[in-house]
Amino acid sequence: MHTILVLVRKDFTNFFRNKPALLLTFVIPFVMIYLFGQIFGINRKDSGPNGIPLAVVNLSDNPGAAKLVDALKAEKSFRVLTKFVNPDKSTRPLTEADARALMQGSDAPFRFALVIPADLISTKTIGLRFKILSNPRNEIETQTVNGVLQKTIFTNVPELLAQSLQARAKDFLGDARLQKFNGAIAGAVAGTFGGDKAQIERDLSGGDFGISQLTQSPKPADPTLRRLDPTPAPARSAASVAATASAAPKSDPPTLDSHPSPAASAAAQIIKFETEQVVGANVKSPAATAIVGGWAIQFLLFALSASAVSLFRERDAGIFQRLLASPVTRAQILLGKFVYGVSIGLIQLLVLFFAGRILFGIEVEKHLGLLILVCAFAAAACTSFGMLLAAIAPNAEAANGMATFLIMMMSALGGAWFPISLMPQFIQQFSKLTLVYWSMEGFSNVLWAGMSFVQLLPVLGILGGITAVVMSLAIWRFNRGKIFE
Amino acid sequence: MLSLASVTKRYGSLTALAGVSLNIERGEFFGLLGPNGAGKSTTMSLIAGLRAPDTGTLTLDGQPLNAGSAVARLSLGLVPQHIALYSELNADENLRIFGSLYGLSGSDLRARIDAALEAVQLTDRRRDAVKTFSGGMQRRLNLVAALLHRPKLLLCDEPTVGVDPQSRNAIFEYLEQLNRDGLTIIYSTHYMEEATRLCSRIGIIDHGKLHALGTLDELLTKLPFEEEIRFPATPATAALAAQLPAHGELTTTTDGLHRFRPHPATKLSSFFSLAESHALPGRLFTSQRPTLEALFLHLTGRTLRE
Ligand SMILES: Nc1ncnc2c1ncn2[C@@H]1O[C@H](COP(=O)(O)OP(=O)(O)OP(=O)(O)O)[C@@H](O)[C@H]1O
Ligand SMILES: [Mg+2]
Repeated sequence: MHTILVLVRKDFTNFFRNKPALLLTFVIPFVMIYLFGQIFGINRKDSGPNGIPLAVVNLSDNPGAAKLVDALKAEKSFRVLTKFVNPDKSTRPLTEADARALMQGSDAPFRFALVIPADLISTKTIGLRFKILSNPRNEIETQTVNGVLQKTIFTNVPELLAQSLQARAKDFLGDARLQKFNGAIAGAVAGTFGGDKAQIERDLSGGDFGISQLTQSPKPADPTLRRLDPTPAPARSAASVAATASAAPKSDPPTLDSHPSPAASAAAQIIKFETEQVVGANVKSPAATAIVGGWAIQFLLFALSASAVSLFRERDAGIFQRLLASPVTRAQILLGKFVYGVSIGLIQLLVLFFAGRILFGIEVEKHLGLLILVCAFAAAACTSFGMLLAAIAPNAEAANGMATFLIMMMSALGGAWFPISLMPQFIQQFSKLTLVYWSMEGFSNVLWAGMSFVQLLPVLGILGGITAVVMSLAIWRFNRGKIFE
Repeated sequence: MLSLASVTKRYGSLTALAGVSLNIERGEFFGLLGPNGAGKSTTMSLIAGLRAPDTGTLTLDGQPLNAGSAVARLSLGLVPQHIALYSELNADENLRIFGSLYGLSGSDLRARIDAALEAVQLTDRRRDAVKTFSGGMQRRLNLVAALLHRPKLLLCDEPTVGVDPQSRNAIFEYLEQLNRDGLTIIYSTHYMEEATRLCSRIGIIDHGKLHALGTLDELLTKLPFEEEIRFPATPATAALAAQLPAHGELTTTTDGLHRFRPHPATKLSSFFSLAESHALPGRLFTSQRPTLEALFLHLTGRTLRE
């Protein structure tokens, strides 16, 4: 027993000596938990994403459309832009062309736009028609935005929906017969569920089917609602009509709203979203581009910091003594490591993208030249990161600990794990400080937006700048540090 | 060939070398003898240009040896104290890398590698990863890796640590051969036997100071006695020990040994009759010719292995 205690104590002593181990055990998980918590809104009253930029073009004069815009503005998942600001600071309503312009370019401020068409409510078809413009670089983000948009539209403007039904019915049945129909339904409802027939009839013709009461304060978890299946008869029939009358709905019901009320799922089928991809429409696998790029860069960072950390092994083995006693300079040792890192990184990235091509059909060959260029710049930035770690860490263990911490942080912040637009605004500010962000920008600019060399220059410049600054810092530290002693 | 003038090197507050001056002639086999932490490796690293001295100058063939001088590097070879090899790579690959760094290539490099491996009996292991080598084999490879470019001056920093007597002997013979062929060698060690056997001239270093410098004979004349008698410090010998200071110099080492150096006037026979009078058997006493060990103790007050 005593022996075991001695051994256990030895391990504890070692553990507390080892700062990187402490960091890995306590600090990193904490930071990661915090980040994920922020993203999934734990501890916030309102969960879900925050402030995803959304351009809204309202071409309809229906008051319901204006109400929808207000509702979208109130929706905290979105940061809504409706006005175009002229150079002279005066504003005018945003047009679809404005929205499209805002969605172009390497650092497009908006990746989603909602167009509410003038003929929002048509007498020709049942349901509401919206147009969503998207530059869906990331599948999770796209799904999320679609989901939140549909949820907002449905829960906030049910009367728009009902107006659409009534308009269609009027067209189909004629005024008089519609009135008769409404009267009959109101009578049946009053007879079955109780209530004032005249009031019900008024509500019906005004488009208020009682959906608003149900959905304005949706309590999906309320057991009574579920048990009674409270979908009002008209909404239910509307749903079945929609299912046959309109083309199959484009997107699935909201993804974020994980407990859609029955009414909401029914209605989701009659709100029609015409989705137009503004950028990358002909890219075969948009999701894969971001996923492969994100994970590739993360593992590249791991591989390259490991290679930089091997500097410590060579030092500890005394190999630097032998090298420096031969006609080799410190700068050459560092440059050798750098060139090695960039080469191995370039190979790793290309192999992973080709794997992405085999697995997901990413169109690698079409952009091969520019892809190699971006990969080389990304590999250079990652290598310089590894070299800086080796330059500032006192030993290999510390360097490895710091590498794990920083790589996970940069990957999470830079968008390798999930779209940065889903993170709280104040965290997003840090995204652009990471080389993960700019590397992924580079990949998506080539593979997703299909940019030309000239259009790529800004991102290449930033990656090159990161490399130059970080490498200079590393070399400066190497010269003052202990690694060559 | 090489000269150090008042060289000082500090690591922070620790003075590793305190004003070392030294001249080494072409063709010499120079020994640097001192215990752990004496400053041997520091001296080597200054000569090899790995570090710059804080004060003082080093010159090689009259040219100042500043860190980074390419010409100097080509004429120097360093055998680091630690095995400085790529352990995942095999012997051949290691030698190819280090040879190439000196600008060697092609059949010339090939031939030199073959000869080097042959010289240290590693030819049949040339394709094995260095990490699978025994300690002694690694040492031998560590040595020849510094010789491929045929330096004029070889710096050997304790090259025989952990080598069995047979391999050690092989290394000695190889180095002696190289020295006869004109290579100047600086050899650091804490084994006085090595310094005695190999070196034509020896510097005794401790705490960063060069305490003595000269050939073995020159050094030994610095000892104020010709013979040393050692015997265990036990209660039985206490009475004898108490009488001895009248006849010579008595010191006691930390490992419980009395060392008695008779005054020149004292006859050995009179010492032994004194011992007999205390009924102490003759086998307790060992008589020794003066050694570097004794000189070191005399100069620094400590033993080489302390
Ligand atoms: N890089 C370093 N940083 C700080 N102190 C050092 C460094 N290298 C050596 N020292 C110190 O300088 C002194 C001389 O060290 P050095 O390595 O030259 O001794 P040495 O004679 O080679 O010893 P050994 O026989 O143990 O190899 C020692 O006290 C050592 O602790
Ligand atoms: Mg040493």
